[in-house]
Amino acid sequence: MSLEESTPDTVETTTAEEIDALLGDLVIDRDDHLNAPGFVVRPDEVQDTLFRLRDEAGYDHLSCVTAQEYEDRYESIYHLKKYDDPTDEVSVVVPTPTDEPVSESAEPVYRTADWHEREAYDLVGIQYEDHPDLRRILLPETWQGHPLGRDYDQDRPQIVPLREHANPLQEDHQSDAGDTMFLNIGPHHPATHGVLHLKTVLDGEQVVDVESDIGYLHRCEEQICQQGTYRYQIMPYPDRWDYISAGLLNEWAYARVAEDLADIDVPEYAQVIRTMGAELCRIAAHMLAVGTFALDVYGDFTAIFMYAVRDREKVQNILEELTGQRLMFNYFRLGGVVWDLPEPREEFFELIRDFLDDLPEALEEYHDLISANEILQVRTVDTGVLPPEVAKSYGATGPVARGSGIDYDLRRDDPYGYYDELDWDVPVEDGCDNYSRLLVRLREVEESAKIIEQCVDLLEDWPEDERTIQSNVPRTIRPDDDTEIYRAVEGAKGELGIYVRADGTEKPARFKIRSPCFSNLQTLPEMSNGEYIPDLIASLGSLDIVLGEVDR
Amino acid sequence: MDPVLLQSGTPTPTGTATANASASGPITTLPETISGALGLTGVLGDVVGGLIGAFLIANIMLGMTALAGPWAKRKITAAFTDRIAVNRIGPFGLLIIVADAVRLLSKELIVPDGVDRPAWDIAPIILPFSALLGFAVIPFGSGLQLADPETGIVFAFAAASIASLSLVMAGYASNNKYSLLGSLRSIAQNLAYEIPLVVTAASVIIFAGTFRTSEIVAAQTETLVTIAGIAIPGWYAFINPFAFVLFLAANMAEIGRNPFDIPEAPTEIVAGYQTEYSSVYFVLFYLGEFIHIFLGGALMAVLFLGGPAGPVLPGFVWMVIKMWAFFLFTQWARSAVPRVRIDQLIEIGWKGMLVLSFANLVLTAVIVGVIA
Repeated sequence: MSLEESTPDTVETTTAEEIDALLGDLVIDRDDHLNAPGFVVRPDEVQDTLFRLRDEAGYDHLSCVTAQEYEDRYESIYHLKKYDDPTDEVSVVVPTPTDEPVSESAEPVYRTADWHEREAYDLVGIQYEDHPDLRRILLPETWQGHPLGRDYDQDRPQIVPLREHANPLQEDHQSDAGDTMFLNIGPHHPATHGVLHLKTVLDGEQVVDVESDIGYLHRCEEQICQQGTYRYQIMPYPDRWDYISAGLLNEWAYARVAEDLADIDVPEYAQVIRTMGAELCRIAAHMLAVGTFALDVYGDFTAIFMYAVRDREKVQNILEELTGQRLMFNYFRLGGVVWDLPEPREEFFELIRDFLDDLPEALEEYHDLISANEILQVRTVDTGVLPPEVAKSYGATGPVARGSGIDYDLRRDDPYGYYDELDWDVPVEDGCDNYSRLLVRLREVEESAKIIEQCVDLLEDWPEDERTIQSNVPRTIRPDDDTEIYRAVEGAKGELGIYVRADGTEKPARFKIRSPCFSNLQTLPEMSNGEYIPDLIASLGSLDIVLGEVDR
Repeated sequence: MDPVLLQSGTPTPTGTATANASASGPITTLPETISGALGLTGVLGDVVGGLIGAFLIANIMLGMTALAGPWAKRKITAAFTDRIAVNRIGPFGLLIIVADAVRLLSKELIVPDGVDRPAWDIAPIILPFSALLGFAVIPFGSGLQLADPETGIVFAFAAASIASLSLVMAGYASNNKYSLLGSLRSIAQNLAYEIPLVVTAASVIIFAGTFRTSEIVAAQTETLVTIAGIAIPGWYAFINPFAFVLFLAANMAEIGRNPFDIPEAPTEIVAGYQTEYSSVYFVLFYLGEFIHIFLGGALMAVLFLGGPAGPVLPGFVWMVIKMWAFFLFTQWARSAVPRVRIDQLIEIGWKGMLVLSFANLVLTAVIVGVIA
């Protein structure tokens, strides 16, 4: 891993002064965050600001939109980054008055803002002018009030009889003239990987339009985290966002943001354990992704699915040895991990090494069965095409972005943990199709195995008296009032970010989760409009969404 | 498609067939054996012998299906995917067949709103019976053949393709869009694949010079070559392997198995035409599909693998082995081969297999015409 190579020389970090000069009069105030300079702009000048930042300063990645309500105002924060250098961040802060929370939409600049602003409207209640389709996204359309707003009455019953809900079939019966057919794929369907509802308009077998209806698995994760204390009570929840074995990766997202917020150091030894555990999780998550993708294309619980699950099982056994749990690990702590490697250590290392030794053969088998299969290639090559510009506009990250030729991986570009000390590569495929995304995942498994092997080497030789698993962390953490931070890590599905605003208490005042699946799922219509139903299903499978993370 | 072939194809072979048939004569069929054993003659003998014979054959097939559906399919798939599968009830889990039968039959028969009855009720009955009808002309060996009409093999294809009607009825009557999509897919698929199927079979008929299944089988008993003292019989799979592969592929599509299981396509259109069926109706569909696989295997055996011919074991056993081999092949494909897309399927059918099958037919005709 060489940082010199990975960061292109052409990208120069834009300083806060340069942005200030670029935006000029648009800036009415400064509101700096721990991770980035923040510029306050008027609600009717959002698009001007963002256009300038995107086109002239190169901020092409709208990572997240955070909305929150203060006592005296609403606020939308646009967290911008560069795909070439994600450490170069800027926040655009848009305050709106409480009595008229109307702000200009960022959708014309970044298409990903579509869903992000819908969520902000749904949960917080800010309205976005010029937004193409400002409806509720996570909650039912009959919901009363905005749950993360200050005046929301939690005790108010929200029971609505079924007849009050919009009937998705209604419009279908109205259009007798058209040749198209409306089809509900999901919420219960074999290929939606959870409870996802795709409102699909078909012309014969071809998809004319598809609209994702999400929110079936919304569990108020953000609010739950806002009610927990930083020190212990939040850490178990990240396991439940992306619950497909990606637990440690998610925990790291919270650990990173909280440690940066409260300025906590992590001992090197703990960082190595974290890196190893996280990569094990990534392998487990990718195994399931590959298996279910094959399931979508093959159509039955075939050999490849079982093989993938078999190998995932081995990883889960290792993780169980390490964390004591198979799915909801709760292994990270602020400042380290909860306990050291299991004793006897030799046996544990043996377990991992056995798995790593068998892995190349297993991957060979996957390549024989899937990627080398001609029917699979016919099915997946050049289907579900997602050009890089479109992917960037939708804020796609992770294997989805890397399958579209975008060389973007936070582990390398915004290093954390022990990654920058290790030798590994970021696999990128520029086919932009379903096949590329599959290949990226298979190759990432190899890279993760490389990382794990190096971590095991390091851990084996670690001197016994230097095995500090946690630094000294105060029992109660109270970050300073009005400190704000947005930090992201590379989860299994992409950039998993968390925004936290502290208000001087031991609980976060606002806890916003940026889910990679949420942004990635938005690209589905781009990939499948005009294609056949089977390709829609394959594209959905190649996105590898987990509804628990989409809906949170 | 079949009637067309029947009309256009009949005149030519009848000339040769009558010439051959009059010489060799049809074999003794199972009903004749039964009526002979019971000492019955005339119409009564035909009816009683026919009924008992049909009952026997149908039950053999249903028994094989019962073994294949709830048990063998699971065991085979499990073997491919490193699992154990059913092993709790009875020896090797065999009694799961009983348990499954009771379970499936005791489920509620859900009739959704707005289904088009009686078409909805008739569809699941047609499917297994169309397949069972095809077995009427299959020579199982050991004297087990229900009928041996002059148009034998054509009858088998005609009976088998009634199945499409059942799928269309089921899909259309179900008042469900997934079912409709599945049934439309099945029509498109059957149109695209029955022509290559039948045309490829026609190339075998040109070799054999007859439609009569017993004679097609008999024509394959001659020794083709002798290698190291082992006589290789003149099975059409050895004489024309190209036609064999074509027929195998078209057959997979005809019976709707992977990689051509488009009409069901579980991950895409839920379960296709059978989405709305439950309980007994579902069992009938399930049954029909498996009988169709076995009918496909029987046709393969008769046309290309010498029918019941084989060393040591009795003919019937060989026939069953060949049918199960084909079943195993379908399950292997199911575990290992991805499904093609509907447009790709149609393209393979119309642009690839149709052309190849006609090329095969013309080539066979030329070869047979020049040599014979």
